[in-house]
Amino acid sequence: MNKKSIVLLLAAAVLLMLSLAVCAESIDQIETIITIVPAPDQTHAERPPCFPDPADNYVPLPETENYALGKPVFSGAHADVYVSKNVNDGKTDTYWESRGWPAEMAIDLQGEYTVSTVAVCLNPSSIWEPRIQEIAVQVSTDGENYTEVAAPDKHQFDPETGNRIRIDFDPVQAAFVKLIFTMSTASRTMGAQAAEICVY
Amino acid sequence: MKKTRTLLAAVLVLLCIAAVSTGVAESAPTLLTIYEGPKTMTSSEAAKVSVNGYELFVYDVMVNHEHIWNANTQPSSTPMAYFDFSGKALIEIQMPGLGKAVESAEVLPKSWGISPTVADGTVRFMITEPGQYTVVFNGSVNKALHLFANPLESEVPDQNDPNVLWIGPGEWVIDAIALHDDQTLYISGGAVLHSIISVANAKNVRICGRGIIDGSDYPAWNQPGSYARVPIDLNHSKNITVEGVIVANSNCWNVNSYSSKNVRIDNVKVISGRQNGDGFTFQSCTDHVVTNCFARTWDDSLVIKNYSGSTKGITFRNIQVWTDLAQSMEIGYETDKGWVLDPEISEVLFEDITVLYNFHKPVISIHNSDDAFVHSIAYHNIVVENAFMQGDNGNNKELIEMTLQNSSWSTVRDEFGTIDDVLIDGLTVVNTVDGKVPRSRFSGQDEEHRITNVTLRNVSILGTPMTSLKDMKISLNDYCDGITVE
Repeated sequence: MNKKSIVLLLAAAVLLMLSLAVCAESIDQIETIITIVPAPDQTHAERPPCFPDPADNYVPLPETENYALGKPVFSGAHADVYVSKNVNDGKTDTYWESRGWPAEMAIDLQGEYTVSTVAVCLNPSSIWEPRIQEIAVQVSTDGENYTEVAAPDKHQFDPETGNRIRIDFDPVQAAFVKLIFTMSTASRTMGAQAAEICVY
Repeated sequence: MKKTRTLLAAVLVLLCIAAVSTGVAESAPTLLTIYEGPKTMTSSEAAKVSVNGYELFVYDVMVNHEHIWNANTQPSSTPMAYFDFSGKALIEIQMPGLGKAVESAEVLPKSWGISPTVADGTVRFMITEPGQYTVVFNGSVNKALHLFANPLESEVPDQNDPNVLWIGPGEWVIDAIALHDDQTLYISGGAVLHSIISVANAKNVRICGRGIIDGSDYPAWNQPGSYARVPIDLNHSKNITVEGVIVANSNCWNVNSYSSKNVRIDNVKVISGRQNGDGFTFQSCTDHVVTNCFARTWDDSLVIKNYSGSTKGITFRNIQVWTDLAQSMEIGYETDKGWVLDPEISEVLFEDITVLYNFHKPVISIHNSDDAFVHSIAYHNIVVENAFMQGDNGNNKELIEMTLQNSSWSTVRDEFGTIDDVLIDGLTVVNTVDGKVPRSRFSGQDEEHRITNVTLRNVSILGTPMTSLKDMKISLNDYCDGITVE
């Protein structure tokens, strides 16, 4: 075998390698088993089906007027920025948090009404953990002398039911309603919490 | 001559074996999974991307090219796409969003040695391994394409399992998702989920899939009426796994863990462009392992702090980082925000970290700004492809910075901690903004609060091995001992 033959053979081998390399980089030469995951027909972003809207399971509230909405409120010290006026501003994404226990929240209804239900709401978002708060309700017609209409009781708050509870009692005349919170099982609060307090 | 013939024959046999091997490898089919985008969305006009001839849905995600803090910043966007595969994937890219012809392209990490071709406005390159690829066009980071080539999915949860919350392809919105003990949340490829995921006081929780957790619905957290909505928020939880998902457009920081333990995070991709968009940020955590992840962030990329106790046992391994703002690997500034007794940060490992770009502050930093004992910290095989730190008004643009001074983030004032036993073994800086070695700085506080026993080994900057403090332009104050370059 002469030198020329050696060079020719080597060149042929290199060409073979190059051609294989080129083939390997051609789409046609890459056998591809494709899976295309289809998108569903949608016209707008939807709620994921695995998270049924809990609104269907919310604790129902009376459809009558909420006498507490926007009325003057009085409480003790609050935590951080969670001021008392958040408790009846009509928004469940703002809330009042007391600084410590027990915590009282009084609402001046600015008039005398026949009342029979008090509702306490937290933010219904699922990131608000379920908890129990112990609450008593008192009413007054003069803002000084209060009568208990609902003894202290433990109430379960759960995002699955709207994170809200209602306390019903016999109809009574009231110009002031006071709630007394005495405990909570929530892990990240050192006081009472309420996003809305409603009076019907 | 006989010897020559034998040699030649051997060469030919080897070549034939190689050729046959190539053919065999080629005969193994590529398995490719691509995901249609939601029908409520349109693919980005900035980029067209295909894999083996199959076109991908391309998302525009928020990024930020302002390399200085701005409370009212306006992010820009860049294209991002993803798919799953094994075998060979020929990537083809066209960039109509550039507004000019593509003349050159570079695939990052550079250390992977991928050389794309550019012809007729199309960029082509072949990949054979899953990973996160970034393509930079015409030498500019503008409209850089992030391409996440996932491995094929395994251990997909059972959709019929009552503990599995299954989110399929499509566009979905829900205010928040709270996960409880033993639950799995699966976010399918092709899904865009506008929500936040909270794991609080829970154990044995898994978050997985290929989909996107998106925060674009929410204004930046510091804007009036807004608040921080953390896409993945672990809080006082344990035995948590997060795998495969993409976190984009967050209105604050991204993957957060607070006082949690035994957390595994794998193949999670984060891209952020808004205020305080930290990437993977852990406070007072123990036993966290983060692997094969990607973080392009407009604030610190990989972060460890103490908020309510000590930190111990955190590993970041095989991570790509692109830091548009702040630090790439930050310990601090808060090291005792909870003001606890004897706070520590220890047993922290950063290993096989590739910093694609750092545009702002130090790549490696320990800012012990409270009174913690920070020790047993190691950095192994750190590659900085582009160390472009511009700092703030000429300050804070070091490559490495370790300090014991109070800062605006300090909780404990006038009390100080220490830093001891730090090893940086394998640090390569490939490119710097000015072609010079960047400075580094070590600053202890006083006689009792010192930085001690920091070893830098196998450091190379701009191709030159570093063998002394002078080489590395390291400045020390009087309260540092045992800072060595080997």
